[in-house]
Amino acid sequence: MRRELRKATAISTVGIAAAFVFTQMSEAEAHLVTTGLGPFYDGVAHLFLSPEDGVAVLALALFAGMSETATSRAVIIAAPIAWLFGGILGLHVPVLPLSPWLTIATFMVLGVLIATNFRLPRATSTTIAIAIGLAHGLMNGGTMTATSEPVTVLAGIVSSLFVSGAIVAAMVVSLHAPWTRVGVRVVGSWVAASGVLMLGFALKTIA
Amino acid sequence: MRWLLVLLGLAGQLAPSPAQAHEVRPGYLELRQTAADTYDLLFKLPALGEEFRLALYVTLPDDAKDVVAPRALFAAGAYVERRTIRRSGGLVGQSIAVEGLSSTFTDVMVRIEDLAGTTQAERLTPTKASFVVKAAPGVSEVAATYVRLGIEHIVSGMDHLLFVLGLLLLVKGGRRIFYTITAFTVAHSITLAAATLGAIRVPEGPLNATIALSILFVGVEVARAERGETSLTIRYPWCVAFAFGLLHGCGFASGLSEAGLPQHAIPAALLFFNLGVEIGQLGFVVLFFALRWALRTLEVPAPRWATSIPAYVVGVAGAYWTIVQLQPLASAFALRVANAS
Repeated sequence: MRRELRKATAISTVGIAAAFVFTQMSEAEAHLVTTGLGPFYDGVAHLFLSPEDGVAVLALALFAGMSETATSRAVIIAAPIAWLFGGILGLHVPVLPLSPWLTIATFMVLGVLIATNFRLPRATSTTIAIAIGLAHGLMNGGTMTATSEPVTVLAGIVSSLFVSGAIVAAMVVSLHAPWTRVGVRVVGSWVAASGVLMLGFALKTIA
Repeated sequence: MRWLLVLLGLAGQLAPSPAQAHEVRPGYLELRQTAADTYDLLFKLPALGEEFRLALYVTLPDDAKDVVAPRALFAAGAYVERRTIRRSGGLVGQSIAVEGLSSTFTDVMVRIEDLAGTTQAERLTPTKASFVVKAAPGVSEVAATYVRLGIEHIVSGMDHLLFVLGLLLLVKGGRRIFYTITAFTVAHSITLAAATLGAIRVPEGPLNATIALSILFVGVEVARAERGETSLTIRYPWCVAFAFGLLHGCGFASGLSEAGLPQHAIPAALLFFNLGVEIGQLGFVVLFFALRWALRTLEVPAPRWATSIPAYVVGVAGAYWTIVQLQPLASAFALRVANAS
């Protein structure tokens, strides 16, 4: 069972990465918010105002917090770096807007892992964090090509990802009462359920 | 080596690109109320020589009439139009537009001043070519506006945040941090009020240079504290926080004067602007401690060399800003010396 889930996780990870490598064709639509405080804060606000990225970061942080401390640390450090690299890459390479599918994959993979409290090896967890960071960063970068000072916006996104991710993960790590961790797993199930719901909508649209 | 190349590539991406100059100058529209129904109108547009001007025209309410014939002239690369208009009941609630703006790339900055001295500022763009003249805001509106301005001023002013960061890095222990931040807050509140109300006046150039110098100073002190050294600042950080807080308060005041003050609600605007500054500052302090706690909980290792990085970031930024701020002062001084000799 554990072996199969590990395999499934690896497949999902490769799937997300492959989808982006092979489908870079056209420019994505811009969806950045303007705070009036400059590009850095536009990036900071992005995670809090864009559910597809914000919930992904929340799920990543909860997943990191539910893992052992060393894994948690690796995820929290790897994800922002991958997001930054993905974002810079996305600025230079046109990316196909695959937002619904990326969101569905992220929500479902992370949601299931949190809800089942499945402990993955550190390397696998870090790979998932890198894959999600790269994919979401690519999407962000692709949508920012028409934005002025996109690298500053990206720096804002990555900074808020690191700070909020570290704080949420540390909060989960510091939870000791069993019921509190059950609460985190419930949140994970909601994230997974959102992914399933979005999958249903996406399939209905295609049909 | 490979990692070094990757990092260098990344740093190249993050390096700021040179700023691009605006190709089109903005227009300017000013409406100054001189009596209950009368306004002086000034409309300034970029012009080419003494013949060509942008085809932009102010559209006033239909019942607004010119009291005297409009005067227009070309001067110093601009077309300047002056009018005196009258409308029964004034212009509050009326829409004013700049016709032709949507087919240009130009913006028009608008400033309206009523009899009480309350100003309304607008920026018209090709996608928003009209605005409505507002009545003087009530206290709740003033509160919301100035709290937001205060927060915006502190979060977008990296110099103030870096100084606070320096203090947080310098001071150890909850009580000492509380005293230090309180001393900074009290000091900048005093000078913010004094400078805004005109009790003190500090020239902007030297003020900004000294604020930059305060960041450099605190950066050096943090580095000294990291090395285990001691100094007056390290032993009594609240004294330095108070002294430099007085300067930073004058800096906040210049931020407030840029925004303008509603003449009918100066105390409220001052109070809520300061409140906004404190909210922004408190938010930054809370975020700093939350992140520090998170990194400790996650047992993120901090190598010896990495612990000095924040001190050097604060110090280098302070040094850079000091040089930038001193440059015009040095040029002005050199010019004065040259003129004198």
